[in-house]
Amino acid sequence: MDALNNLMYGFGIALEPINIAYVFAGVFAGTIIGMLPGLGPISALALMIPITFAMEPSSGLILMAGVYYGAIFGGSTSSILLNAPGVAGTVATSFDGYPMAKKGLAGKALAIAAYSSFVGGTVSVIFLMLVAPLLSKVAVSFGPAEYFALMVLGLTAVVSLSDKSLVKGLIAAVVGVMISIVGIDMQTGTERFTFGSAQLLDGIDFLVVALGIFALAEVFYMLLRGGGGKETPRNAIGSLKLTRSEVKEIAGPVSRSSVLGFFTGVLPGAGATIGSFLGYSMEKRIAKDGNTFGQGNIKGVAAPEAANNAACTGSFVPLLTLGVPGSGTTAVLLGALLVMGVTPGPMMLEQRPDVFWGVVASMYIGNIFLLVLNLPLIPLIAKILDLPKPLLLSLILIFCMIGVYGMSFSVFDLLLLLGFGLLGLGMRLFGFPAAPLILALILGNIMEESMRRALQISGGDWMTFIDKPISLSLLLIALLSLGLPLLKKRRKRAIAE
Amino acid sequence: MTKLNTNQWLAVVLALFAAAYLAMAWQVPTFPLPRPVDSDLFPKVLGVALLLLAVLLFFEKPGAIAGADEIDKEATQGPLLLTPWARVVVTSLAIAAYALLLVPLGFVLASTLLCVGLTAYYGYRRLTVNIATSLGVVLALYLTMTRVMDVYLPTGVLPF
Repeated sequence: MDALNNLMYGFGIALEPINIAYVFAGVFAGTIIGMLPGLGPISALALMIPITFAMEPSSGLILMAGVYYGAIFGGSTSSILLNAPGVAGTVATSFDGYPMAKKGLAGKALAIAAYSSFVGGTVSVIFLMLVAPLLSKVAVSFGPAEYFALMVLGLTAVVSLSDKSLVKGLIAAVVGVMISIVGIDMQTGTERFTFGSAQLLDGIDFLVVALGIFALAEVFYMLLRGGGGKETPRNAIGSLKLTRSEVKEIAGPVSRSSVLGFFTGVLPGAGATIGSFLGYSMEKRIAKDGNTFGQGNIKGVAAPEAANNAACTGSFVPLLTLGVPGSGTTAVLLGALLVMGVTPGPMMLEQRPDVFWGVVASMYIGNIFLLVLNLPLIPLIAKILDLPKPLLLSLILIFCMIGVYGMSFSVFDLLLLLGFGLLGLGMRLFGFPAAPLILALILGNIMEESMRRALQISGGDWMTFIDKPISLSLLLIALLSLGLPLLKKRRKRAIAE
Repeated sequence: MTKLNTNQWLAVVLALFAAAYLAMAWQVPTFPLPRPVDSDLFPKVLGVALLLLAVLLFFEKPGAIAGADEIDKEATQGPLLLTPWARVVVTSLAIAAYALLLVPLGFVLASTLLCVGLTAYYGYRRLTVNIATSLGVVLALYLTMTRVMDVYLPTGVLPF
């Protein structure tokens, strides 16, 4: 009953007219940004941070959460219409969504995506509501050693699950931590790596890095590919209606993928992309007509869409209950919360119930907005895909600039943004994943603080990380997660031979 | 001497960076009161970790790089200023110039100039649409930031 009372309290906050407006604005803006190929949820969220800066934390997070699942929904639209997924989490949607669009069934595919996203989102909010308080009760007993181990696990999981080289992922993570410790050490007041510059005393703002590594680097990358790549003809949308038998056909895949997606999202390192692929492959295996997957099977659209939205919500569990994000996207959300003066973690439910329950309740409303408002608006919103690429690239640049300058009022930060944009481009060209860097940047300081506090408590004894069973288990899982890609590689090689 | 592959070049650069980082980590001053862990420990651990990873990268076989092969090959044959890499260099210079001119020119003027200029440079020929869209978006952003969110943005040469 507690959860129900708390949810009612959350609805009291989420249904305030201003918050309803924020949910709608977030979902709408997220849909548009997510639809633009290349700009994923991380860029969308980073671009929103300056807007949320002066807001009430609950309203700010409500807006950002709307942007997040709006971006995932928007990504599916470009997957279906253009075969150019706006976000990685919707790649699996294009496998059957685009063939459907080519058959003139784009409207149907979009409607299936919207209904499945709605069910996936709603089912996972129910799970979030039930699981999060339980997990936060367990996490209250965590000391600094356990937190340190948890953050190491979060980082290694993100590195090991990225499809790029393990070594390059780890290098990105180490560089991310290096950037995070620039500035004055809060525990001793010692300056580190500031090169005598007063502008670096407060450290490097994560927004500068996030916008540089993701949004600006994406602009540079699109320029290298000839101003946004080749224009793809957009398929006509057609009718959005579904028949009763079609609804019946997708009901099973949607419910299974919703649950699977939620738990994938909870796991550190996994998330919308892995969730959607798992959902897709599970349904392909189960379905009697599995051989028609990839040719425009409606279950092939429904399963990944339900899973990716559910995973989005699932990824809020570690963020809100442990204060440890499990992905690059939730790392940006954590950064935004810290900017607003809220520290997520097990005490958040006690100290800031308005933020937690307000966001949970807003997710129900946001999912309804996605379905009731965004779906009929899709033919209109899709016109954004016709915006000339040169104009789009210049506008993204302006958004990045105003985002950074509006936060810090510093010309130095604008130049740093350029530097990180070029670094992001280099990382992309040489195959270094960006998500571990941004996650490490956010976690770096907290990780160092936890490590030092644990060592201070133990009098400098490093065995403290191994003596505690929870910390030991987390570190062992972290080690195993790093071994996983090596095993996969060896298996692939064995199969090839 | 055998030619180094991409990963080996990257590894050498990273190893040099790690060595410089470690040298700086050793110069982090110690805290006057003795404590089990001082400010220099974490940077030292990071420097060593990066050095070890650079060694591992040196011996890793380079895979196909996803991004590099997607560079617009046709455009590389065109005029020098319009080649893909020239576009990146010109955009970077424009951003640097924007950063330096933002305060003296003001947000509206500097941003509109950047937006219109780059859009035209990237090949968009409809100047009226370009100016109208750029100015419209910049003004909308400016008014939202300054009037609604109370964020100060430099006015520069314009009176508002």
